[in-house]
Amino acid sequence: MHATVVFAHPDPTSYSRALLDRVVRGLESADHVVDVIDLYAIDYPASLSPAEWHAYASGRPILDDTVAHHADLVRTTDALVFVYPTWWSSVPAILKSWMERTLVEGVAFALEGPDHRLAPKLTHIRNVVGITTYGSPWWYVKLVNDAGRRVILRAIGLLTAGRARLMWHGLYSLDGRSPRRRERFLDDVERAMGALR
Amino acid sequence: MTGRRVLVVFAHPSHQSLNGAVLTRVLAGLERAGHDVRLRDLYSERFEPRLSLDEKRSHLASPDTKPQLARDFDDLRWCDSLVFVHPTWWGTQPAILKGWFDRVFAADVAWALPSGAKTIRPALTNVRRIVTVTTHGSPWHVNAAQGMAGRRIAHRGLRAVCHPLCRNSWIALYALDRRTEARRERFLRRVERRLARL
Repeated sequence: MHATVVFAHPDPTSYSRALLDRVVRGLESADHVVDVIDLYAIDYPASLSPAEWHAYASGRPILDDTVAHHADLVRTTDALVFVYPTWWSSVPAILKSWMERTLVEGVAFALEGPDHRLAPKLTHIRNVVGITTYGSPWWYVKLVNDAGRRVILRAIGLLTAGRARLMWHGLYSLDGRSPRRRERFLDDVERAMGALR
Repeated sequence: MTGRRVLVVFAHPSHQSLNGAVLTRVLAGLERAGHDVRLRDLYSERFEPRLSLDEKRSHLASPDTKPQLARDFDDLRWCDSLVFVHPTWWGTQPAILKGWFDRVFAADVAWALPSGAKTIRPALTNVRRIVTVTTHGSPWHVNAAQGMAGRRIAHRGLRAVCHPLCRNSWIALYALDRRTEARRERFLRRVERRLARL
């Protein structure tokens, strides 16, 4: 299987980075081919540019080589895995920007007919996975927001037309967790990635 | 009654868009009501949406250590009402606006973590009103199925650090591509009327 892992954290010594390393190790242990997109490391721009917005209506929304390369990965990948810290209920801006620029018409969906009906184009994807840390406790996340999960599992999940397995791994109340609990979450994530089919 | 202090944050790459027209009507409505308005136009200002490594590492540091955000902090502390004008992309705010949340809703501006406390405390108690005016490409039911994530980010997540009685308004046009000119114009008139009554 081919897995594309999109990672968004500025700090190479962060816990999120440790999560990424374990995700990759887990996937590779199952002989999956892994592509990692480390957004901060490649200095990825964190907004859809005005030129890209104008190009959107033209039907050729991709203007940039990096974006074209990422779109090619998405078109063929069997698994999309997102690893990020939750900030203000959702994904960091740099990851949101990746979605806006990569998951465009012609890649993630098509608009069909005169009424622009949304047609899913991610139907080849077998697994959509979100792995994130939250500063807030579980009950607060459920009560107030969890917008990141909604964007990844529902908005992206919808475009697999229900064919993908949707998986979520969250570590809640990050700052209050013991080193042992944090280590256990890393182990759980690695194991889950090793079991991905 | 004295006017409100309204911070309008605009996040669209083009003023020649429907969102540009929405902004014009938002400002017209606010002016009609005699409010004091500050406008932040994130694309025109080329706002950098990425929380940097330094900002991440100094996550708990005082705002004085982040002069690059001084103007944003000042705007946020000055206002009593926040008005966001943006298209909804992927169910949520454009990345540039998410980045504004990520960077500007910082320690001792938006929230505080008193020593010994386990959870953050609200610090934006000056904000009593959050209004979002947004356009959706997809119809209402698709947004509902997606879980209205953008609304949750601003009107639940951000609201949690504002005044406890902070009120929310969500003014949205759905299924943008299928709307007629007349329907869009009706939406714009509604926007101006709602903002004039803020």
